[in-house]
Amino acid sequence: MSTRIVAVVLAFVLLLGAAEAVVAKENLIIYTSMKESLIGGIVEGFNKKYPDIAVDYQSAGAGKLMAKIAAERESGKILADIIWTSEVPDFYSMKREGILEKYETPLIKEILNPFDDYDGHFTAARLGTLGIAINTDLIKTPPTQWSDLFKPEYKGAFGVADPALSGTAYMSVALLDKQFGWEFFDKLHANEARIGKGSGQVVDDTASGELAASLAVDYITNDKIAKGAHIALYYPPELLMAPSPIAIFKGSPNVEAAKKFVDYLLSYDAQILVAGEGTLSVRTDVKNPPEFMLPDAADALKRSIKIDYIQMMATKEALIKKFTDTLQGK
Amino acid sequence: MSGITQKRNFGAAQIILFLSIAVLVIVVAVPVLLIFFNAFWVGGKFNIRDVLKIIGEPDTYQALVNSLIIAAGTTIGSTIIGTFFAWLVTRTDLPYKRFMKSMFLVPFMLPSFIGALAWKMLLSPRAGFINRFFMANFGLSGPVFNIYSYAGIILVEVMYLFPFVFIQVCGALERMDPTLEESARISGAGLFTITRKITIPLVLPSILSGALLIMLYSMAHFGTVAVLGIENGIFNIPTLIYQRIHQSAGSFASIRTGTVLATVLVVTAAFIIWLQGKILSKGHYQIIAGKSFRPMELKLRTLRVPLFVLCVAYIGFTIVLPTVVIFLVGGLKTYGLPFTWENLSLDNYKFILFDYKVTRDAIWNSVTLGLAAALITMFAGVMISYVIVKMKVRGKGFLEFLGMLPFSVPGSVIALGVILAWSGKFGINLYNTVWIILVAYIARYMAFSLRANSAALEQVHDSLVEAARACGATMWQALKDIVLPLVRPGMLAAFFLIFLPSLRELTVSIMLYAPTTRTIGVAIYTLNEDGETVVSAALAGIALVLIVTGQSLVNYFTGKSEG
Repeated sequence: MSTRIVAVVLAFVLLLGAAEAVVAKENLIIYTSMKESLIGGIVEGFNKKYPDIAVDYQSAGAGKLMAKIAAERESGKILADIIWTSEVPDFYSMKREGILEKYETPLIKEILNPFDDYDGHFTAARLGTLGIAINTDLIKTPPTQWSDLFKPEYKGAFGVADPALSGTAYMSVALLDKQFGWEFFDKLHANEARIGKGSGQVVDDTASGELAASLAVDYITNDKIAKGAHIALYYPPELLMAPSPIAIFKGSPNVEAAKKFVDYLLSYDAQILVAGEGTLSVRTDVKNPPEFMLPDAADALKRSIKIDYIQMMATKEALIKKFTDTLQGK
Repeated sequence: MSGITQKRNFGAAQIILFLSIAVLVIVVAVPVLLIFFNAFWVGGKFNIRDVLKIIGEPDTYQALVNSLIIAAGTTIGSTIIGTFFAWLVTRTDLPYKRFMKSMFLVPFMLPSFIGALAWKMLLSPRAGFINRFFMANFGLSGPVFNIYSYAGIILVEVMYLFPFVFIQVCGALERMDPTLEESARISGAGLFTITRKITIPLVLPSILSGALLIMLYSMAHFGTVAVLGIENGIFNIPTLIYQRIHQSAGSFASIRTGTVLATVLVVTAAFIIWLQGKILSKGHYQIIAGKSFRPMELKLRTLRVPLFVLCVAYIGFTIVLPTVVIFLVGGLKTYGLPFTWENLSLDNYKFILFDYKVTRDAIWNSVTLGLAAALITMFAGVMISYVIVKMKVRGKGFLEFLGMLPFSVPGSVIALGVILAWSGKFGINLYNTVWIILVAYIARYMAFSLRANSAALEQVHDSLVEAARACGATMWQALKDIVLPLVRPGMLAAFFLIFLPSLRELTVSIMLYAPTTRTIGVAIYTLNEDGETVVSAALAGIALVLIVTGQSLVNYFTGKSEG
C-alpha cells in the first residue's frame, strides 16, 4: 500500500512540474528549418542584445513546420511569430494567403536580395547552397559537373534527401529539373540514386560510407567536415541556391520584438555567425571563413539557377510525387 | 439492513458504469468519431467517392498490403519466439532462469525505433558495421543482409515486440494450477499429451492475447518502418500518412487523406478484434481458483547447455550488440569515424544533459507525461475492466471496442483526432500544450490497461467475491479486500505497459509536439532525421539508461511490496 502512496505523491509532484512547464512566458517563437548549430548561436546572440525578449524556437524540416502551421491555422491561432525556412515557395503561398506581416527592413539596402519582387513580406536571411558531398575514402576524383553523378562510381550510392521532408531538397529538384530537364532524374535513377530522409541524414550517410555522395546542404556538410568526417563538398558550375527567407506572421502579439529579430538576423553580428556555420551570408561585407570551400556570395548568386517561384509553387505536390516515383522506379 | 446495502450497491454500479462510459467517450470515442467524420463528411455532405478513390490508389493499396505483410510476419515470429522462451524460463531447469527472464523482458523496455536505428548502423547495406566487417574480411562483394527490406523490418520488430507474448505466456504458465498437469501425469498421459491437452489450452488465451497485441501494434507501428522502410519505398499505413501529410505541407486536405487511411486501419483492426473474440469465446479459462502450487520443472538433460547457449547468444545478439552500438556511436565526434580512442568521448552526452535545452526539456517532458498517463490510465482501466468483465450490463462489448479503438488506430491519427477534438472547436484548446499529448497518451494506452486489467480480473473467480459477500462483506469491502489485491499485479502490469512505452513514445508526440513540449522520442527521431546521428544516438543511450533505471526501480519497489 505504501508503494501506491509513494507513487501517487511522486506523480503529483511531477504533474505540478508539468503544469509549471505549460504556463507560457511572453516570448518570441520561431519556426525554422535551420539546424540547431545555426539557430542556437543566433538566438544566443539576440538574447545578449535584447535580454528582456525571451526566444524559443522549433527547429524541424520545412514540410513538418508547414504541417504544424496548417494545423494551427485550423485551430485558429498560429503559435509562431516568425518563420525562417529554405522553402521559398511556401513564403509565396503564405503571402498570397495573407498570413504574413509586411515589414520592409531598413537593412534591405545592405544585403544581397535574391528576390526581384521583394515587397517586405519576407526577406532572404541566408543564401544556402547545395553541392555534391563526397565520401573522400570512396570517391577519389572530385566531381566537377552534375553529369559526373551518372558515372559508375556513384552507382547505387548517390543520395538525395526526401523532398517531402526537406525544403532544400525540393528546391534542388525543381532547380535541376529547370536546368537539365527531367531526363536528369531518369539518368539518376538509371544509376540507382537513392532517396534519403532529411537533408542532414544524407550527409551523415555519406560520412558513414552508406552513400558515396549526396546532394548536400553547405553548412551541414561543413559542420561535419570540421568535426573530422571524411567528406568534401564540391560545386558544379550551375549552382543550386536555396535562399532562406524570414517572415513575421500577421497577428503576432510580439510584432515589435519580431522586427527586432529580423533586423538582428540581417545585421553584421548575426551574419558573421551565419557565415561561421559554413553557409553563405546575405551581406557582402561578411567574408566566408577560409576553412570552408565556399563560393563568394555575390558570385554564387550570379551563378545560381534562376526559377519562377510562383510557378514552382503550383506544381509542388506533383513534382515531389514525380521525383519519388522516378527514383523508386514506379 | 441487507435491503439498504442492496440499494447502495445498485447506485455504486450505476456510477461506475456511467464513469466508464464517460471516460471512454470523451477520451477515445470523440477523437475517433471526428476522424471518421472528417474522412467521410466533406462540405456538409457525406462523400464516399473520395474515400474510395484514396483507398483505390496503388500507393494506398500497397501500403495496406505492406502493413499486413509486416504485421503477419512480426506476429508469427514474435509468437513463436515469445512462447518458446516463456516456456524455457518458467517450466524447465534452464540455468540462471530468473536472470534470463529479466533479460528477455529488456527488449520490451527498448524503443523499437532506437533498435531500428542501431540495426541500421549494424546492417545498412554499405556502411553497416556487420556488413562492412564481412565484406572486408570475407571478400563478399555485397552485404550479408540488407536491413532496408521487409525481412529487416520484420526481424527488428520481432526482436522488440516478442516480449508482449513472452510476458503474457510467462504469467499464465506461472499462475497455472499444476495439479491439472499432475493429475494427467498420474493418469498416465505422456509429456506430449499433457502439453497438447492441458498446457496449451490453458495458456492459449494468453498466447493469443499477446499475439493480438503484437498484430495490432505492428500494423499501427510507425518507428521501425519510418527508419528502415521509407528509403526503399516500403511504406505501411502510418508512414504513408506521415509522408502524405508532409508532402502537401500540411494542408488540411492531406489531414483528411490521413483520416481516410486511418479508417482503413480501424476497420482491419476491428476485424482482428472480432476474430480474437471468436477464438476466445470457444473456451473460457479461469486459471486461478483460489489455490496455488509451484509447477513442475521439466528436466532438459542434454539440451540444457545448448539451449542455455542459444538464450545467451540471442540476448547477446539482439540486446547487447545494438545497445553497445548505440552507446559507441553516441560517443563519436561525428558519424562515420572509426571507433578509436581519439574519436570517442563523452562530449555528446554532456552536451545533451547539460547544455542542450531541447534534450533536457525532452527528458523532463517524457518522464512527467509517462507517469501522469500511466497513473490515470491504470485507474481508469481497472474501473472500466471491472464493468466489462464482472458486471453484467448491456452494451459492454461496445465499451470494450471503444477501449480497443485507440490501440488499432495509428498514433499519428490519434494525434489528428485529438487535434480535431481539442483545438478549441469544442470550447477547450489544448493544442501546443503538454496536455494534448497527455490526452493522446491516455487514449492511446487505454487498450493496454484494459487488456492487463481484464486478464487479471478474468482470473478472479466470482466464487471469491460471493464467499466474501456471503460472509457479510459489502460490495466495496469485497472489492477492496478481495478483488483489488488479486488484480494488483494486473494493475501494476498496466502501469508498466504504459509508463515505459510512453517514455519513448514517438508516433503521437511527433504530430503534437510544440517548441517546449518535445518528448525523448521526438528529439531522437528529429535529430536523426537532421543527420545528427551521433547526438541522437547519445540521447538514445541516455533514454535507455533512464528507461532501464526506471524499470529497475519499479521492480525493486514492487518486489518489496510483494515480499
